Order: sequence, then C-alpha cells, then structure tokens
Amino acid sequence: MSEPDNPERDAPGRAERFGRWVENLLLGVVLALMIGLAASQVVLRGVLGGGVAWADEALRLLVLWAAMLGAVAASRDNVHLRIDLLSRFLPAGWRRLTAVLVDLFAAGISGVLAWHSWRFVAESREFGDLVLGNWPAWAFQAILPVAFILIAYRYLAGLPRHFRQRGTAPGSDPA
Amino acid sequence: MILTSLVLVLLAVLGAPLFAIIGAGALLGFSRADVDLTAVPIEIYGIAETPILLAIPLFTFAGYVLSESRAAARLVRLSAALIGWLPGGLAMVAVATCSLFTAFTGGSGVTIIAIGALLYPALIQAGYSERFTLGLVTSSGSLGLLFAPSLPLIIYGIIAEVSIDSLFVAGIVPGILMMIALAGFCLWRNRENRRPLADFSWREVRSAVRESIWELPLPVVVLGGIYSGYFAVSEAAAVTVVYVLVVELLIYREVPWSRLPVIVRNSMVLVGGILLILGISLASTNYMIDAQVPQQLIELVTRYISSQTSFLLLLICFLLLIGCILHIFSALVLVVPLMLPVAAQYGVDPVHLGIIFVATMELGYLLPPIGLNLYIASYRFKRPVLDVCLATLPFILILFGAVLLITFVPSLSLMFVSQSTP
Repeated sequence: MSEPDNPERDAPGRAERFGRWVENLLLGVVLALMIGLAASQVVLRGVLGGGVAWADEALRLLVLWAAMLGAVAASRDNVHLRIDLLSRFLPAGWRRLTAVLVDLFAAGISGVLAWHSWRFVAESREFGDLVLGNWPAWAFQAILPVAFILIAYRYLAGLPRHFRQRGTAPGSDPA
Repeated sequence: MILTSLVLVLLAVLGAPLFAIIGAGALLGFSRADVDLTAVPIEIYGIAETPILLAIPLFTFAGYVLSESRAAARLVRLSAALIGWLPGGLAMVAVATCSLFTAFTGGSGVTIIAIGALLYPALIQAGYSERFTLGLVTSSGSLGLLFAPSLPLIIYGIIAEVSIDSLFVAGIVPGILMMIALAGFCLWRNRENRRPLADFSWREVRSAVRESIWELPLPVVVLGGIYSGYFAVSEAAAVTVVYVLVVELLIYREVPWSRLPVIVRNSMVLVGGILLILGISLASTNYMIDAQVPQQLIELVTRYISSQTSFLLLLICFLLLIGCILHIFSALVLVVPLMLPVAAQYGVDPVHLGIIFVATMELGYLLPPIGLNLYIASYRFKRPVLDVCLATLPFILILFGAVLLITFVPSLSLMFVSQSTP
C-alpha cells in the first residue's frame, strides 16, 4: 500500500492535468451531492420523522459512482491495494519485466470486466429497468463499463514509464 | 484449477492490484461453472444495493479533513492537561490520543504522522528512551480500530452480515483492554522515570478546553449517537462530515478551501480502492459458495482440529500470518467469507469473530514485511525499518497477550451485546 499523496511520476502533460482535473471535479460533485443529501435526510428524519423516499436510493447510486470514480483515480495514482511481496527483492531488470506483466494483466482483466459490464448495461436497457421512480437504470449503471475501460486504459498508458524509469520499482512503496 | 490459482498467487505477490486478482478468480470460476459472466458486474452493482456503504466515503472524507487540521495538536494538549500530571502520564496521553484519533481517521497510518510526530519529541524530552518512544508511537498508531466509527468493523459487518452496532458495542471492552495493556506496560517499563509531565493546573485545562471547544462535542455526539442507537451508522457519518467541515473550514479555518480538491481526491481514491475490491469480492465469494469451497474447507479443518480452543489458536496464527502480508481491508474481503462458516462450525460467535479479526489485524500493522506502521514510522522519524521493528517488538508481545485474552474470553466482547438477531 503506498501513500495516497503520490507525487506525479512524470512531468504532467496537458492531457494528464486535464484528466486529473476532470476526475477531481466529478469526485467533488459526487461527494458534495452525497454529503448534502445524506445530511438533509438526517435533518428531515429529526424534524418530520421521515426522510424522502427517493433520497436513499439516490445515495446508494452516488456511493457506486464515488467508488468507481475513486477506483479510476486510484489507477491514475497507482495506489490500488496490492500485496507486492516479491517485487522489491527482485533485481531491477526483472522488476521492470514483472511490472509490465502485472500491468498488462490488470489491463486485461479490467478490459474483460468492462466488456461484461457493457453487456450487463445493454441487457438492463433492453429490459427497461428503472431507478429513482422513472429514470432508466442503464444510465446510472453505465459508470461500470466506463470506469473499467478507463482503468484498463490507465494501466496500458502507464506501461512506457517502466522503461523510462531506472532503478526504482514502479508501484512499490515509497517508504 | 490448481495451476491457475498458483499463477494468480504469483501475480499477486509480484504486485498485481488485488481487484484484478480477485476479478480474474471470479471470472474464471463463473466461466468454468457455465454461469453468464454478467454475474460479475451484477455483483459489483451490489455496491449500489447496500445502504450501509454510505458510511465509508463519508467517514473517510471526514477523517482526512480532520487529519489536515490541527485537531491532533489540540487533542494532545487537552489530554496532557487532563492526565499528564499522573506518573508516566505522557505515555498514557500517547495511548489515549492515538486510539481516539485512529477510530475517527480509520487507521490508514495518519495517526503516526499527525500525533506521533507531536508526541515523539515530547516523550524524549520527558526522559523516555528513544527506543521506547519509537516503539510506543509506532504501536499506538494502530490502536483504536475496535472503537466506533472504525472502518474495518463496518466492513466486517457488511461482509459477515452482522449488525454493525453490535460490533461497535462488542469492541468497547477489548479496545479498552488493549489500551490498558499498553499503558500498563509503559508505566512498568518506566517505573524509575515517574517524573510527572507537569503539575495539574486548572488554568491549563481551562485554556486547553477553550482551544478545542468546537471539536469536543464531536466524539460525544458521534460515539454517544452510535452507541445509544440514536443514529444509524450512516447517519452518524453524515453528521460527522458536516460537523467536521463546519468546524475546520469555517470556524478554525485551518484547512484552506484550496486544499479541498486534494483531500477529496485522496480520500476517494482510498474509498474507490476499498469498495472496488469489496464489490468484486462479492462476486468471487458467491462463486466460492456455489463451488462449495467453504464446505470443503470445513471438512479439511474438522478432520485435523477437534476443539474450539485449538481452532482459535490456529485462527490467530493464521491471521497473524495474513496480517504480515495483507492490508486489513484486503484481508477482510478475502479471508472473512471463508473464515465465517468454519468458525461457525466451532461455535464461534460471528460478532466475537469480528473483534478477534480486527484485534489481530491491528497487530498486522506492526509486523514485517509489510506492516504499514513500521514504514510510516521509519519514514517519519528517519530511522531504519529494522530499528523500528526491534523497538516495537516488546509492544507487539504485550498486545499479543491482549489478543489472546480477547480470543479466549468471549464474554469480554459479548457481555454488552444483546443476543437478538441483527
């Protein structure tokens, strides 16, 4: 587990800064909505003895969005939970090789998850599932394939840095 | 089957992210059982069908905001004013403040950075040896995970489907026991150095209280609200986050608004990491139950282990081993679903099991090779990791004694838990 406050490894290019900005913006909006809605539910329950019925469902969907957006951001910062016992004992050359292997694996699995999430969303759209009373469920579920595609892309896009960087093991503890 | 498991384990120890490992396991398992693979995203979508999860982003964010403010310094000052006059008082201040701070910030290692950094020089100045100080600060940093609103207990409750309120209540006595064990050890080790920190002074107490007057109601409202059952856990989380934002951003103004995007990102990155493996592990757990893995495990274990006592001993050894290589959140999603049915076979109460699990995992924070606290302390206090390990060793032994007590005296955990269904 590495520190979340990871300094950017490469000089952040324009796309990198923009992507980060979009992630931060979306995370901020989702979290703000979540806090606002959850707090007003508490107040309503205290004052009126009951909250708004749709708010609980909306909160649960917001948690899903926060989780998936957070997971995308975690891939950019390369701080997903991992075990990583062996790589720190490997010589640098091997370490680079296994790092590439491991990232390809992560990208592949994310890709497969994205594909099946896409099928799940398509089915839900076909069946016309609804959430929050009248809204199509697929629009909210769509975060799953989108997030997994972005995670897969992030691991592929991160591959070149294994070759640029000498000595240090990418993704291992800074400590 | 065995070959693919070995490949997955190899990839895991080479540093593949756990969500990909667990995801691969679930995908392979379901495809072998001819289940449509949309089963996996459907299980992940289960994140949106579990109301209690709301507490996780809210508490995590509140904890990150708190650790960016000077709340830690105020907490240390106040407890020093209240109990610093006792002999060995400063060591007890360390134990108490670390526990409270960890309970609220979720034990991601920030306690050592926020509180340890304040206490380290103070303890040395008060005449404690450097080695003792290093060990105390490192080990105290993992205390407090047994108290509300600890994230590991919440996640255990979700996975094990037991009432989180019961878990919080069950954690009180074991949590206090671990604090007393550590504080008692500090007193005994420093019986020659009993010089109190300072004389008790009402003036200092008054001024310390005045300084932290806005934060004092927080633990009272949150802990009182949860333990009394007035708030549901996610309601308490909503109250905490609003309270912390108002106090730190508007009243103390120690956390600048411009810092918020970074805090939001860092806290949500952690939340995303935890919830993603939680969601995916819902799928892999389902597959394992379909494939009757728990039954096979029960058969295997019961063939060799007959009594509850020997099972519990084996369990602790196993958890310590797991604690050496897995972070607490990963261990929760990977181990708990398998451990629960086996433990039930031996008549271990699931609430008690949760307390055993978290208490033992607190030790995991201190164990090489991946114990998080060791690295954070080594990094923060600029000492080699090996020094930190050695300094922490006596504290680990003491805490291990407490874990044994907690494990073999179930009533410590269960005495205040009503045995009604959750």
